[in-house]
Amino acid sequence: MTALVVAGLSAREVGRRRAAVLLVIALPLWFYLVRRDLTGQSIRMLALGIAWSISTLTLFVVNASRGVDPRLRLTGASVVGLVGGRLMAMSGAGSLLALGYWALISLDQTVPHPLATGLIMLLAALAAAPFGSLVGALLPRELEGALALLSVCAVQMLADPDGLVAKLMPFWSVRQIGTYAVDDADLSFLWQGLTHFALTWLICAAGTLAIFAYRLRIVRYPEP
Amino acid sequence: MSTYESWPTRFEAELVRLGVPEPRARRLTEDTAAQAAEQAADPAGLFGPAHLYARHLVTELSAPVDPEPPRFATAGPVLLHLSAVGKRYRRRTVLRDVDLTVRGGQVAAIVGANGCGKSTLLRICAGLTRPDSGTVRRTRRVGYVPQDGGTAGWLTADEHFTLFGAAAGVVSRRARSTGAHLAARLAWRPDPGQRVQQLSGGTRQKLNLVLGELHGPDLLLLDEPYQGFDQGSYLDFWRQVHAWRDAGRAVVVVTHLLHDLNNVDHVLDLGER
Repeated sequence: MTALVVAGLSAREVGRRRAAVLLVIALPLWFYLVRRDLTGQSIRMLALGIAWSISTLTLFVVNASRGVDPRLRLTGASVVGLVGGRLMAMSGAGSLLALGYWALISLDQTVPHPLATGLIMLLAALAAAPFGSLVGALLPRELEGALALLSVCAVQMLADPDGLVAKLMPFWSVRQIGTYAVDDADLSFLWQGLTHFALTWLICAAGTLAIFAYRLRIVRYPEP
Repeated sequence: MSTYESWPTRFEAELVRLGVPEPRARRLTEDTAAQAAEQAADPAGLFGPAHLYARHLVTELSAPVDPEPPRFATAGPVLLHLSAVGKRYRRRTVLRDVDLTVRGGQVAAIVGANGCGKSTLLRICAGLTRPDSGTVRRTRRVGYVPQDGGTAGWLTADEHFTLFGAAAGVVSRRARSTGAHLAARLAWRPDPGQRVQQLSGGTRQKLNLVLGELHGPDLLLLDEPYQGFDQGSYLDFWRQVHAWRDAGRAVVVVTHLLHDLNNVDHVLDLGER
C-alpha cells in the first residue's frame, strides 16, 4: 500500500511543478528538432533527451524526499515501498512522455520498424528513472547530481557506439535498438539493446535500493 | 479490527483496550451515543475518530480536580532507557555517558548549549543514529518531530496525513480525519488546497507535530517543536504535551527555553559544547 500511495503523491508533487514539467517535456523536442533532417540521428537524440529529462526529474524528486523519508521509515514504511513508489511514479511519467514522442515520430518520420522506435523511447525513459534515483542516492546535493547526469548524457552522445566507454554508459541500448529500428540492422542489435537495458535497470534499481536501505536504516532497540 | 465496524463499537473497544472496565466502557459508549443523538449528529462528525475520542475521554476522566497539572504524575512503565550512551563524529566526542530513563506519564527535557548534541541524542533515541557506546532500550511505537524539515513542500497537509498514514498502515480516510482532529487540538484547521511550502513556519511546525502523533506512538521525541509558534500556539503546545503525559505517554523534548522546565518531570542537561 505504501508504494502505491508514495507513487500517487510523487506524481502529484511533480505535476504541481508546472514550469519544470514543461521544460521536461520540451527538452527532448529541442534534441529532435536540431537533427530532424537525419532520421536516425534525430530519433537517437530524442531518446537521449527523454532519458536526460526523466533522470533529472527523478533526481530532483529523490532529493526532495530526503527530509521526509527517515520519518516515514520511523512511522513504519519499508525502504522498498518508498524507493519502489517513486520509481513507479517516475517510470509512469517517463512512459507517458515516451508515448507522446513516439506519436510525433510516427507522424513525422518513416522508419523500417516503427514499433521498435517506440521501444527506444520507452526503454530510454524506463532506464532513466532508476538511473536518476541512483545518482540521487550517490550524490545527495542537486547541483552535483545534475552535473553528473549532464556528464553521463554528454559522454553517451559523443562516445563511439562500438567502444567500451559507450557500452558502460546507461543508455547504450538506445543506440543499439535505434540501429535496428532506423537502419534496419539485424535482430542481434535489438537483443543487445534489450539485454543492456535489463542489466542497466537491474544494477541501477538494486544500487538505489541498497544505498537507501543503508541510509534509511533504523536501529532496532530492545524494549525496556 | 474491521474498518466497517460502527463508531460506538470501535469507541467501546478502544476504551476497553485503554484499560476501562467493560461495564464502564459500555456505559460511556451509551452516554456518548445519547449525547450525539440529542444533537442529531453523527458521532464521528461530533467527536472525531473513535479511537482518538476514547483516548481523550480516558485522559479527561483520569485528570485530577486540581487545576495545576500533575507535575509528577503516577509513573507508568519505562518507555525509554539510556545507559552510558556515547557518540563521536570522527575525533570529536559529541555525547559521553548519557543516562536517561523516561516512563509513561512523564515529560523529560533535554537542554544544553548549541552544538552540545541535543538533536543527536534525540536521533539516537529515535533510532535514526546509532550510538557508539552504551545501551538504549525503547518502546517500539515512537513518534519523532525534527527541528525543521520533515515535510514535502509540494504536498498539502491532507496529503501528508495520507502519506504518513500509509506508512503506519492506516487507510487514507482515517488518516485524514485523525490528522484534522489532531490539528484542531493545536487550533489549526488545514486548508485542503494549501501546499506546505505556502504555510507559515509556525503552522508547518504544527503539521510536524501532528505527523509525529498521527500513528498514536507511546513515546514522542520533539526537537524544539515550537519554532515559529505565537504565544497562543505555544500554550496550546504545552497543553497538548500535558494531555499526552496524562494519557500515559512519555514525551522527550529538546528545548533551550528555561521557562519550559517548569512543565517537565526530568531535565537532562548536556552542558557546554
